[in-house]
Amino acid sequence: MTSRIFNLILLAVALTVATPCVSNAQDAQMGQLIGQSMAKVDASDPATFLTCISELKRIDAMYPEAAAPKYYAALQSLNYSVLNPHAEATEGLLADAATLIAALEKCKDADASNLHTLKGFLYMVRIVQDPAQNGRRYYLDVMANYEKALKINPDNELARDLQQKFFDGMSQATQN
Amino acid sequence: MKHLLTTLIAALLLTTGAFAQTSIRGKVSDEHGPLVGVNVFVVGTLDGGITDTLGRFSFKTGKSGEQTVRAILMGYEDFNITADLSKLGELDIRLREKAASIDEVVVTASTFSMGKSYQFKKLDALDVVMSGNSCGDVVAALQVLPGTQKVGEDGKLYVRGGESEECQTFINGMHVLVPYSTNVEGQNQRGRFSPFLFKGMSFSLGGYSGEYGQALSSVLPMETTDVASGDKLGVSASLVDWNVGGTKAFDRSSLSFNLDYIDMGLYNAVLPDRCTWTRPYHKLGGEGQYKLDISSNTTLKTYAGYDLTRVGQRLDDRSLAMTEHNAYGNVTLNTRFGDGYTFFTGAAYSAMVSDVDDALTAGDHYHNFRNEVHLKAELRKTLSGALKLSAGVEDYLRGSEKRYGTVGYDLQYNLFAAHFDANIRITRGLFLNLSSREEYLNRSREWLVMPRATLSYVPNDRFQASLMAGRYSQTAEDDFLAAAKGLRQGLADHAILSLQYSTYKTMVRLEPYYKRYSRLPLLRDGVYTSDGYGYSRGFDLFVEDASLLENLTLTGSYSYNDSERLYRDYAAARTPEYASRHNFRLTAKYAVGKFILGLADSYASGRVYAAGKTPYYNSLDANVTWLAHPKVIVYASLNNVLGRTNVYRIQPDGTQVGATRDRFFYLGIFISLKNNKAYDISNF
Repeated sequence: MTSRIFNLILLAVALTVATPCVSNAQDAQMGQLIGQSMAKVDASDPATFLTCISELKRIDAMYPEAAAPKYYAALQSLNYSVLNPHAEATEGLLADAATLIAALEKCKDADASNLHTLKGFLYMVRIVQDPAQNGRRYYLDVMANYEKALKINPDNELARDLQQKFFDGMSQATQN
Repeated sequence: MKHLLTTLIAALLLTTGAFAQTSIRGKVSDEHGPLVGVNVFVVGTLDGGITDTLGRFSFKTGKSGEQTVRAILMGYEDFNITADLSKLGELDIRLREKAASIDEVVVTASTFSMGKSYQFKKLDALDVVMSGNSCGDVVAALQVLPGTQKVGEDGKLYVRGGESEECQTFINGMHVLVPYSTNVEGQNQRGRFSPFLFKGMSFSLGGYSGEYGQALSSVLPMETTDVASGDKLGVSASLVDWNVGGTKAFDRSSLSFNLDYIDMGLYNAVLPDRCTWTRPYHKLGGEGQYKLDISSNTTLKTYAGYDLTRVGQRLDDRSLAMTEHNAYGNVTLNTRFGDGYTFFTGAAYSAMVSDVDDALTAGDHYHNFRNEVHLKAELRKTLSGALKLSAGVEDYLRGSEKRYGTVGYDLQYNLFAAHFDANIRITRGLFLNLSSREEYLNRSREWLVMPRATLSYVPNDRFQASLMAGRYSQTAEDDFLAAAKGLRQGLADHAILSLQYSTYKTMVRLEPYYKRYSRLPLLRDGVYTSDGYGYSRGFDLFVEDASLLENLTLTGSYSYNDSERLYRDYAAARTPEYASRHNFRLTAKYAVGKFILGLADSYASGRVYAAGKTPYYNSLDANVTWLAHPKVIVYASLNNVLGRTNVYRIQPDGTQVGATRDRFFYLGIFISLKNNKAYDISNF
């Protein structure tokens, strides 16, 4: 099951990187900085994720009230974690992601649909880490958050693709 | 010459460029040594670096002059230094662990929380239900936890030497007057609520704060799930129960229903027990929920449930027949508004009508009607990371009508309560909860002031130590209150020490406790007084481990209890009949492929009656869950595999009373008819 989830996560990573990252940026300069940082990510090189996450946190320090740096920092933390579920840095990054999501919830300009997508993604990473134990435990939370994300914004492609691929992967896993 | 000049200018430009790039380097550590992964950067730029395994960092920046360099790492306080970059030299940064704020620390002393979060919680409702042989019963599931004790004749929750009535249940903060469905003696009384109704439970074994009252021993607050995001329809069937339920999700709300029918007739016919049933146990129940997100900050939740239970048993001299109607409903509103305020208000109504024919002698009739209105409002405010306050008021309006032949009573009373809680972070890792609960019982015309305090030391996320002390109250049971109008509320003073150590896959908790009871109802010269008293002391040990073998989770709990009381019609202080000194449980859960196997053993030492002491209780239970299909789950369990005949109590004439059957087999199938989710056996 892990390998299937890996596949869909790889797709998710590709989608995420391809998603226009400045759409919610408070201003053009912040958007440009986020874009520059995101462009450095190479999915085959985990270190580039860490560099990107560090830079996004520096951007967050520049714009502490803005939602966009927090959103992308959380997203990249989850991307790294899902690709490297048992790496030394993963638990710290997951804790980081949870903190960033909590901070996002307090941001006035946070997009509720994106917020639920991140929450679903976080539970999904927990399943990837330990499918046998966490699959049953967190499955419903993953699905519920993607459903909420799509209810708020039916055009949230990341949520839709993650939901579909995750559902397919879990269905295949339970049928085998 | 011209070429040389060009070269020199180029070199000069390059050199100037190199000077413009200021180099920042150094190392970062905490009190334990070098820190890896620290993000060090010049504020306002992307220029920065990450520390290596030796805590070293190095980067260049185009900035010059006075700037702020910041070092950040999750769990640590930010480090800032503002200086001329050219004069920084080799930085030696020492980070301090961040002191958790009030909102970040969850004191777990004396409480078992079940629910989910992004971070791991050790237990959730499904985990607990699949441990042992609860057959989906919350109450039975909780009895694998330390502090509870096995009382087989009714299956209710008995906590740390307290009676079952001393444990009170709350749904969304609102009280449930009768949380159990009825049954005849010797048969387990199941909890009335499905564990899948709830997204979280918080079973407190004592020492709880001022929000909860009218419980001398423990409270079980449960919170229902949020507004559903998708439609559901499901059915389940077994030898003993049948269920259908579903949810319709709307834009910002959801409506759920659930119908449940339990009938032991078929089971008794296939696998007879030692009873003669004139009317096999059956229960018809229905529940409905409507939940509405009025806005992103305001949620309305409603719940209504009703069940009808009937059972008849042929005894030596009569045919006992019981009928019970049980209804419960609540409405709650939770809203967050400006400046960090949270306001909660709710109303609940409980009603239970019980009729028994041939209750004590042939031809007699017993009738009881109990009801309660519970109203509550609470305001919470987080003032800072070091102070959180809450205050609330509530009112209980209770009525009870009992008839047996020509005798009986009509009882009505009102209890008003107010509470004030303050959560204070005294210093790094040291927290204090101070609360006070005030109650006024109109029947005894008495005010009570009950202070409570919990001091917790939480130096990190692995270790917690807490010391709790407080006073708790509860009105006497209706029969006693009706018999003596001036009967005062019973009191219990709790003192609990809690020590907990947990890692990713292991948790160990030790909790010694002492409870002192006073003002318990005591029959003296035919009159009930408030002169009863008692004590309960002991310790609970709980160990959970998932590190021994992949996919294997083990739990073990041991509870030692020493208690004595002088209350009710006791002639002298003695250990109550329901109390056993030693309780031990061991559970194992192992996931293999599409199967989840569970094994549980429960042991309780003998209980003392006037006519003798019962033998020890032991039951080895096994269960298996088969994830047959994403929409089909099959669950089977066998209770008391070894077939031991357990004795629950000894009658005054020496007769031993025990379970009516030694083993109980359960086989159920759960099917989702309309649901895009797998593993979801919840209709809510």
